[in-house]
Amino acid sequence: MEKYFDASYIWGAFPQLLPFLKVTFLVAGAAVLFGTIFGLLLAVAKIGKSLIAKKLANGYTTVLRCTPSIVLLFLVYYGIPYVGNKVGINLNDINRAIFVIIAFSLQFAAIMSEVIRSAYQSIDKGQFEAGVSVGLSPFQTLRRIVFPQMFVVALPNFGNGLIALLQEGALAYTIGLIDVVGKAELIIASNYNSHALEIFLALAVIYWVLSILIERFFLMLEKRFSRGKRTLETA
Amino acid sequence: MSESLNYKFLWDTFFVALSGVPVTLFVTVVALLIALPAGFLLALTRINKIPILNRLAQVYVSFVRGTPVIIQIFIVYSSVPLLLDSFFKANSINMKIYEVNPIWYAFIVFSFNTTAILIEVFRSALGTVPKGQLEAAHSVGLTNFQAYRRIIIPQALVVAMPNICTATVNLIKATSLGYAMSLQEITLKAKVAANAGYNYVEAYIDIFIVYLILCSLVEFAFKRYEQRLARYKPASA
Repeated sequence: MEKYFDASYIWGAFPQLLPFLKVTFLVAGAAVLFGTIFGLLLAVAKIGKSLIAKKLANGYTTVLRCTPSIVLLFLVYYGIPYVGNKVGINLNDINRAIFVIIAFSLQFAAIMSEVIRSAYQSIDKGQFEAGVSVGLSPFQTLRRIVFPQMFVVALPNFGNGLIALLQEGALAYTIGLIDVVGKAELIIASNYNSHALEIFLALAVIYWVLSILIERFFLMLEKRFSRGKRTLETA
Repeated sequence: MSESLNYKFLWDTFFVALSGVPVTLFVTVVALLIALPAGFLLALTRINKIPILNRLAQVYVSFVRGTPVIIQIFIVYSSVPLLLDSFFKANSINMKIYEVNPIWYAFIVFSFNTTAILIEVFRSALGTVPKGQLEAAHSVGLTNFQAYRRIIIPQALVVAMPNICTATVNLIKATSLGYAMSLQEITLKAKVAANAGYNYVEAYIDIFIVYLILCSLVEFAFKRYEQRLARYKPASA
């Protein structure tokens, strides 16, 4: 048996793994898009007047917060084709990425609904009233006055949610999606399960760098957008 | 899969999944018992800016928050056995590495992970206690230890509690990844039960329900405890 640990495998893994980040990003991007749309609807339900909608949206968030990603992923992966079968649609051959996107959109929606709700509630009601009183329509007030301020408040939480999503997304390999983690598993299998540690370390470095980059990016955005906020406060 | 749900299996497997709860809770409690003091001490090094430890803690937190739990599990599960094996051989301990209960690896991974999360929780909580509190305690003759135990920690704990609750719920959820170390907890037990008849939909519904109950109970318990702690809350201005 050769050496247990060989650092050259770590370097060797990067060029093989990095192209598969494309899949990871694609899935994460789609989940962010759909999750944000659904999360916005949930947030509207939480803020709105209808009691039933509020209960439903809060219940949804609680349930999703209590569900491990891997359980949600498999529930979607096995459950949706099952329900599809019931109504007579064959969903067994659809791309696995779709299931991953659905599962993580559902999860991200729960996160986003809280982010949007707390951002909305952090904006003083007087802002809206002032906007309307100078003759803007309610929609204009939301678009011109409330949203820009909400955006600044929501930004850091959105960034944290994004990092969390990316990390939970590492589980997509369990249903056979070939993203970075899936590719890492393939490389290890082709090495007859030796040097697994080196490949996993390379994987950890990739995720670590990504998270730091996202964090930095959002800090930068925050700084940029809170410039306007400061002048508002001093005014 | 066109037939309807197998309700008998759904019912039976619920108890199979339930039988995994002790393992899940055991791992959670051990991880918390290690992580709470370790996280607190490391948070103190961050706050007091102790030269090297401060920097190390920073990198440690960044790593744990920057990498998925599953990859931390992979790394520990593929490195610790190697280290242990050479340790056993060097000390001529007659123990097979394959006979080590995976729960030990679970303890390592989850306390490693939770410590980092709690460092940040305690750091922000300790930051909310005004510095004057410590100075006041010193001035009436309390030692540093007494001041922390009687004055600082109770106040910091009030602030930290909701975040500790979140960390605990996340920890319980993360133990579902123990399957990668063949840890016999809720998810793995129900999944194995489903293997025989491909009753995966039922099995995952059961797992889902068990986690829902578990997490709701934990959140409820923390809520109660928070109410009790609230008496330490400084009078609101």
